[in-house]
Amino acid sequence: MSAIDELCSELAKLPGIGRKTATRLTYFLLKQPPDEVVRLAAAIRSVSERIRPCSVCGNLGETDPCLICEDPRRDKELLCVVEEASDIGAIERTGEYRGLYHVLGGHLSPLDGIGPEDLRIEGLRARVANGCEVREVILATNPSMEGEVTATYVRGVLENAGVQVTRIALGLPVGGDLEYADGVTIAQALAARREMPR
Amino acid sequence: MAGPSSLRGRQSFARVDFGQRPGEVPARVCFHMALVTTAAVVLHAFKYSESSKIVRLATEDVGVQSAVAKGAMRPKSKFGARLQVLSGGVAEMYMKPNRDLHTLAAFDVTRQRSELAGDVERYVTATALAELILRLAPAEPNPTVYHYLVAMLDDLVAVDRVNLEPFGLAALWGAVGILGFAPALDGCACDGRRLPDGAAKFSIADGGFLCQTCAATSTSATTLQKQDRQTLEKLVSGNIDDIAPIPPRHAAAHRRLIVRFAECHMNEDLELKALSMWERMWSDT
Repeated sequence: MSAIDELCSELAKLPGIGRKTATRLTYFLLKQPPDEVVRLAAAIRSVSERIRPCSVCGNLGETDPCLICEDPRRDKELLCVVEEASDIGAIERTGEYRGLYHVLGGHLSPLDGIGPEDLRIEGLRARVANGCEVREVILATNPSMEGEVTATYVRGVLENAGVQVTRIALGLPVGGDLEYADGVTIAQALAARREMPR
Repeated sequence: MAGPSSLRGRQSFARVDFGQRPGEVPARVCFHMALVTTAAVVLHAFKYSESSKIVRLATEDVGVQSAVAKGAMRPKSKFGARLQVLSGGVAEMYMKPNRDLHTLAAFDVTRQRSELAGDVERYVTATALAELILRLAPAEPNPTVYHYLVAMLDDLVAVDRVNLEPFGLAALWGAVGILGFAPALDGCACDGRRLPDGAAKFSIADGGFLCQTCAATSTSATTLQKQDRQTLEKLVSGNIDDIAPIPPRHAAAHRRLIVRFAECHMNEDLELKALSMWERMWSDT
């Protein structure tokens, strides 16, 4: 296999990249100055070598514990449970949450053979054990059937842990149009309605 | 029960230019693509490429089918929250003959069954049932299988917590039966001889109870006591109202039996993951 074919087949393994795009990217890289291509290769190698999951929360970072777990300004009484480390970035971008996180590493999916033992639930139980600082656990799993059942399971696990367990709200997106929303989302929004603050 | 469904065939034409010379009549390729509208239940859904989903549907009119829902993961997708596992609705699919993967044009939810997600045992039972249909139902029209699935999922939402385990056992045995693998209960699975009442040997490999003669030559048959045999007969017939509470040890044996039976007769190569999880879940409870 030639070097070009080898790079094409490696790039084609990336999500959203087919054989055609992989070929285009390969020829694009061949046209770039050699030092830029080397920088890209070094960045990929660096990510692979330096990024590790945090042993406390499961977030991906260069340090263990991660920067969020180590940050003294974080509210240690709040713990947000998410499915994937990439969900942390989405919440952090809002700038509204200052608590800690716990990454489960997926969701319950019996059809895919993913059960509670495949998720980081024991680690969560240990973090929320009686006597710890955590006061509230926010379940921020995806608003899908699998995400909901995962939240249900985690709620059951934390039942006797002596912490408040809350679920992120589900409903209409901000800036959306009621007319174009699907019935399931509208029904969910109606069910989760709340009194307007004065 | 889902509303009436219809099959609407629409002929589509595409013009394909094969680089003909000036003056030649352009090549015209005609292909047939039918828009099928049918009641369906989402058995499984998973991500495909950057923003699409592949869904496996149990349909009323065209059996179990796979379809790609293009752009389903985009924030403004027309599919929105509709393609959730175990949701029921009306699917519109563009279907091409001799294809395994069709195109989902629309899915209007009529029953979401989100209540199932509020109880892990209920949810896992429902997915075990969906898995049996997914792996074993043919891609040919089979409304009986579809209606059975819909009825069982709806009952599963409503069944009392105390009856959930026997209900699950009965629903799974019913699915095995409706898919054509019902165990032989009245007569010997090997020679059809009528069986006397009382304890009897059950052979998973032979597909049911055995008479004394056949049991003597079978290496895998296990004895089911009279009460266990009666319980099994009631579970297979779906008559769970008359079942006395099943002691935990016997319930575990019944769970093992349905899992081994399904694995043995239906799927030699493929592990039934949801069914195995269902068995483990009740053992842990």
